[in-house]
Amino acid sequence: MRAGFIASLALVPSVFVYGTVFGGLAVQSGLWPLEVWAMSLLVFAGASQFVAVPMIAAGAPVLAVVVTTYVINMRHYLMAATLAPSFRGFRRPWLALIAHLINDESFAVASARSRPPDAGVYLGSAAAISGSFVVGVVVGTLLGGLVDRPERYGLDFAFPAVFLSLVAVQLRRRSDWLIAIGAAALAVALALVLPGNWHILIAGLAASLVGALILPVDEEDAPV
Amino acid sequence: MRTYVWVTIVGMAVATYLTRAPMFVALASRPLPPRVRLWLRLVPLAVLPALAIPMVLVHDGRLALGLAHPPLWGAVVVFVLAACRVNLLASVTAAVAVVALLRAVG
Repeated sequence: MRAGFIASLALVPSVFVYGTVFGGLAVQSGLWPLEVWAMSLLVFAGASQFVAVPMIAAGAPVLAVVVTTYVINMRHYLMAATLAPSFRGFRRPWLALIAHLINDESFAVASARSRPPDAGVYLGSAAAISGSFVVGVVVGTLLGGLVDRPERYGLDFAFPAVFLSLVAVQLRRRSDWLIAIGAAALAVALALVLPGNWHILIAGLAASLVGALILPVDEEDAPV
Repeated sequence: MRTYVWVTIVGMAVATYLTRAPMFVALASRPLPPRVRLWLRLVPLAVLPALAIPMVLVHDGRLALGLAHPPLWGAVVVFVLAACRVNLLASVTAAVAVVALLRAVG
């Protein structure tokens, strides 16, 4: 467990900052600190929280926010399936609790160290990552309340900026670019004709499904 | 109490838990089919641009493609910085600063 904790220390500053940015922006968008803390503890999935905040601020239907959250977090199925065999022998109540801590960073740390991932390394990493995220969010909500008239400082642009930076670091193959550009083009076209936020889900699901059907399956996607 | 916000948060929490717990608690030993794995990997890659690009390019229900549109330049800045592995806070701050600056002069 110590090994996982120590291996994750390098990620602690960026996860902390990520949490701080989220907390600050969420408060700026009109959420109350208590709501932001509750969301971070109960949902604990940064990208989907970033997506939800402007939707909530705009008063989007509950169903739209929940379905969008679900789709963005579907990648957890992949991580849960890869991690599960390492946790044989754990009691069910513990498994139910540990499942809540599944996150991209700890998954990356644990699966980079061994295949199959080691349960202890994973738990140590999850402790470091969840702790720094939540503390970051709390600090962010406290700082975020200090700025007024956020659009004057371009802060309304911070949401798309975060999303674009999350995409930029994931684009490794030429096919990744095609999927991302296709999804963006379709979303823009749909946004011009559809009301609300449905263009996000429709374009996101359509582009990813087309990609999954026509792209060759390579090593990284093969079973571990 | 702001019921709408809390109902949304609880809904998000349940939806997210449903992506984490079922396979994990069942100790699923059979790996997912490769095409499903590929699809799950592609979903965030498609959803994030579908979310971000309309926020940048669509303004009041119309396409805003002019070079005088500050978010366009902000998007270019954050994308290039992040692609060069500059950290999140620095790239987002730079992009926000560019947008604020262009708005101030424009």
